[in-house]
Amino acid sequence: MNPDSKIGRRKFIRKTSLGIIGLPFLTSTSWKVAPSDKIRVAHIGLGGMGIQHMKWFSQFDDVETVALCDVDQLRLAEAYKQLSSPGMDAKADTFTDFRYIIDRKDIDVITCATPDHWHALIAIMAFSSGKDVYGEKPLSLFVEEGNRMKKALDHNGSVFQLGTQIHAGENYHRVAEIIQSGILGKIHTVRLWKTGGSPGLGFPLNQACPETLDWNMWLGPAPYSDYNPARCHLNYRYFFDYSGGVFADFWCHIADIMYMSINPDGLYSIDSRGDIPKDGIADTPEWIDVDFRYRDLDVFWTTIPPPVPGADKMHIGAHFEGEKGTLTCDYATKIINTGNESLSDIPEIPQTLPRSPGHQRNFLDAVKNRTQPESNMEYSRKMTLPMHLALISFRLKRKLKWDSQAEQFTGDPAANYLLSRMYRSPWTLPTI
Amino acid sequence: MKKHLLLISCIVLLITSTGSSQNSDFIPLFNGRDLTNWVLAAPEGFEVVLGELITRSHGPGTDIFTAKSYGNFILRLEFLLSEVGNSGVFIWRNPSIQGNGFEVQLLAPWTPWRPDLYCTGSLYGHVAVTNRPDETPGIWHSMEIICDRKLVTVSVNGEVTTIADIDTVETLAGKPYTGLIGLQGNHGRKGQYAKFRNIYIRDLDAEPDYIIKGFYDKNDQRRKLAQIAAVNMGAKMVQPLAGMLSEENPAAYSGAKQALFDIAAKASDPECPENIKKEVNAEVIKSIMNASSDAEINYLRWLSGLITE
Repeated sequence: MNPDSKIGRRKFIRKTSLGIIGLPFLTSTSWKVAPSDKIRVAHIGLGGMGIQHMKWFSQFDDVETVALCDVDQLRLAEAYKQLSSPGMDAKADTFTDFRYIIDRKDIDVITCATPDHWHALIAIMAFSSGKDVYGEKPLSLFVEEGNRMKKALDHNGSVFQLGTQIHAGENYHRVAEIIQSGILGKIHTVRLWKTGGSPGLGFPLNQACPETLDWNMWLGPAPYSDYNPARCHLNYRYFFDYSGGVFADFWCHIADIMYMSINPDGLYSIDSRGDIPKDGIADTPEWIDVDFRYRDLDVFWTTIPPPVPGADKMHIGAHFEGEKGTLTCDYATKIINTGNESLSDIPEIPQTLPRSPGHQRNFLDAVKNRTQPESNMEYSRKMTLPMHLALISFRLKRKLKWDSQAEQFTGDPAANYLLSRMYRSPWTLPTI
Repeated sequence: MKKHLLLISCIVLLITSTGSSQNSDFIPLFNGRDLTNWVLAAPEGFEVVLGELITRSHGPGTDIFTAKSYGNFILRLEFLLSEVGNSGVFIWRNPSIQGNGFEVQLLAPWTPWRPDLYCTGSLYGHVAVTNRPDETPGIWHSMEIICDRKLVTVSVNGEVTTIADIDTVETLAGKPYTGLIGLQGNHGRKGQYAKFRNIYIRDLDAEPDYIIKGFYDKNDQRRKLAQIAAVNMGAKMVQPLAGMLSEENPAAYSGAKQALFDIAAKASDPECPENIKKEVNAEVIKSIMNASSDAEINYLRWLSGLITE
């Protein structure tokens, strides 16, 4: 056991909570929860999602927001301002380099809402310093990073939740229940879609970086590029150096319901088609269609809704085709078709799945109980994997064969090469 | 504006028209013996007779098309029309999509009189001739069609008849700048005919310097076509493209970066012949030696890894 690990610290605090050691924790304004049971949280990456994390987590009585970090001083200042304003009314230390947070022994949990190219490294460093992580989707930028995250988590006994908050909702739990009840028969086909793709972003010139932004740190392990605002905040997702476009973003939300419901195994073939925008510097899919072949299951991803009833009204959705019926859903609605009827629920199907107390609460409970939450590391790794493989097929413009046991492409070394990428010096992906 | 276009056109012609059709850059599109390189839309449409390609039937759907698509090129041919003959040369055509591309008209003078928008040398119905050519039937005329990105220039018997800035032709807006080249079957009555011979093409999209210029084009579609042309060329384009990685023009830079990736991705295909893999990788390695920054070196090394992994 890592002596600095959270479990160690928490046990230590519990034992001595009535002693002088408890005093540093008395800064909390809430007395409903004993200070020793407070989870001390730091937020890394404070764009829109990071601020959301801050708001979500600060509303829990057993959470104390202790540190904020962003490479952009303006964003950091804005987050601090919001945190200290009435409502959240908290104070936190601020950093522009996340390594100060990693080094802090008094922090239990970090949330990470940086661009994707930082996800793995920050999580692994957090695990290794005894912290638990609530990390934004996608899990990582490369498949190999996800594997290393899993190893680091296991090695350190850490807790991880992927920030796919739709997962916690009633609709996804009920959809999974209905499908698992067998009323649709065996599911043989799933259609997933998300309308729209990456914008081109035009052709802005590179420019001098504002003094308030540490661009080198923003890039971190990603390939060097001169500063361009179109590559940075809000738009980074449209570059393969930092993310995988709209597809990578929304796969995590909608493939989630497929994995939650039927947890498919034996993926063996991935065939992507598509194109990148012509009207700008962005290089991720303007549209992408993918045919996935699993053992006993076909999965089709499209950029336009499939021709099934109700799908045209859903910007994002999943359509399950079983031997005895179909179910079409999005985040909040579902249409069930068995025979002639079109239903929004089948009340006779009993509730079999425990409901989430909310995605963040589910994570915090897991942190306290040392269990794994619903969107835990292994679930997230398995669920996001096909997205990475589809983007490799998209980039190489060819159909790929996958060995789901070895987790390697078959007969295509170049495709395997793209499962990882060497980090830009001085950063390295830790081996556990 | 017209003067300006004429000037550009003259420069283009100076560059491109110095050689004869037998210039090494030109290759025969019609071998004079059979229909190699061509696909008949209707089985009876054309026949090869003594080095000539002759229409054999009449009515719509009797056209003939190249097997391959062409975007930017110089096409030279000779044509002869019967009395009241009516034919044409299709450019950027996709026979399965109505209205794509255009037709450079070939017409024998007949009644009723056809206006300049529909006579020989016009982009039929889109752009009129400004210098009406001789349309005498029964004798051979030479024609040259230059598709140089947005500029289409038609000459008949050595004289420019039509200059079109495609970007200003509303009826061609949004259409692809590439497609098949075709010859229209006999469009007139039974017994009328058209004959073609000495059909040569210089494919500008197979010339590295020309392709590179396309990366700077202001039109998104044309830049994309330059990228496709570069990827089709493969190894020969690696060094010129790598040289653009230090380019400030964001469209040229990002286009070159993507084209390099696509060339490497194609070479990394397990089905790509070993000699092509080696050739592409050798060019990437040479580019690394000429690279001007660590970022360029790292990118090119990464691409080399993709090919050689």
